[in-house]
Amino acid sequence: MIEITAYALQILLIIIAIAIVVHKNNGTIIILITSFSLVTASLYVINNAPDVAIAEVAIGSAIIPLIYVISISRQREFIVLDRAMDDFLRKTFDQEGDGYRLLRDFSEYYKLELNISNDPELCSYDPDKDQVICEKTNVDLIIQKDEKTGEYLLKGKDSSVLMHKLEELASKYDGIKVVRFKDGDFGD
Amino acid sequence: MTASKLSVLRMVILVIKHGVLLGLMLFLFGVFYVSIEDLNVLYETFAKNYYLNNGFEDTYARNLVTAIYLDYRLFDSIFEAGILLIAVSGIMWISKHDIEKHNVHFMLDKFKTPDLFVMFARIVYPLMLVFGFYVVVNGHISPGGGFQGGAIIATAILILYYIDPNKETDSTFIVSIEKGVFLLIIAFAMVSIFTKGTMFTNPFTSTNADVQSIYLIVMNVLIGVKVALGLWTIFTAFLREGR
Repeated sequence: MIEITAYALQILLIIIAIAIVVHKNNGTIIILITSFSLVTASLYVINNAPDVAIAEVAIGSAIIPLIYVISISRQREFIVLDRAMDDFLRKTFDQEGDGYRLLRDFSEYYKLELNISNDPELCSYDPDKDQVICEKTNVDLIIQKDEKTGEYLLKGKDSSVLMHKLEELASKYDGIKVVRFKDGDFGD
Repeated sequence: MTASKLSVLRMVILVIKHGVLLGLMLFLFGVFYVSIEDLNVLYETFAKNYYLNNGFEDTYARNLVTAIYLDYRLFDSIFEAGILLIAVSGIMWISKHDIEKHNVHFMLDKFKTPDLFVMFARIVYPLMLVFGFYVVVNGHISPGGGFQGGAIIATAILILYYIDPNKETDSTFIVSIEKGVFLLIIAFAMVSIFTKGTMFTNPFTSTNADVQSIYLIVMNVLIGVKVALGLWTIFTAFLREGR
């Protein structure tokens, strides 16, 4: 009986492992990882290793999912720093600016929470090095207005995978330009 | 070159690509199979029988896993504890360390914690703490030990963040306690050089099992505290002050 249970659990383990790789939703993957370690722990008990099973349950089904939940919840937000300070990003009852519409479409596409801030304390511009330094939080995008051409510049990190989609969306609008920065230049 | 020739070439390249992958998998499977066959030949019962026959007399631990990691292989266990300390220090160094106090507020904005979960957490929290201490203190008799119990205690502490979202943690303070406990572990493991002449073993010379198990309990408690603090620090490193 125990042998049959062990075989069934091993087959279940393979199925869960494939499901973890195939699945797309992050929340479901966390639950699958948790169930994976629970099944592993019961296999340890069957193989007479209760010490290892306790450690597996405590680490695999409590601490690792919590850390994943925290990390994913921190990725949900898209923080935009507004340095243009005009109607470009403003949203009122009857009209919304081009930039606001662009960023709203963008954040809806990736299911992110858009957070537009114009707090000057958040980031500071260093004119000597031509760098923007953000110390307090991770700012994903900085919006500035080019004084000479009148274009709006969306400055983002080169390493961010989201920037490609943003460029694709911004090509529909006139007067919006996406600029990519290397990570070090962004001051992160 | 004609189009048909090109397509044939493409097919050949595809077959080679997939063939290499398939061959690698077959090779790995073969190695795995051979190693399992070898295990049956190499399987010796000498070490197992030695620990079963002499484990209790040598170390006075009924749990033979504890006998190994707190007496026979204590030197290895110390470095195992050091690995966790190094991992915690690395995480602290990589994560933002300009904020000293952490709380869980930013999480609660997005994932609204259900009241039912908070209610159950309040009931479960003391039980988890007690079970963790039980696993630590009873580690030399029943399955468990310092690492497992410490992980359970750390989980209980993490639940505390959901009960009280305003709770703030100074992670640098926790890390400094953890370092102190690690030094205590090394110091306590070295006491036996004064009583028995060799390091990293049980310092008590009495033949009474109760007296001997004092060493095991103290060592398990120290390792448990160290692991709980370490995992707590890893958790707080991922937290950030709510804006």
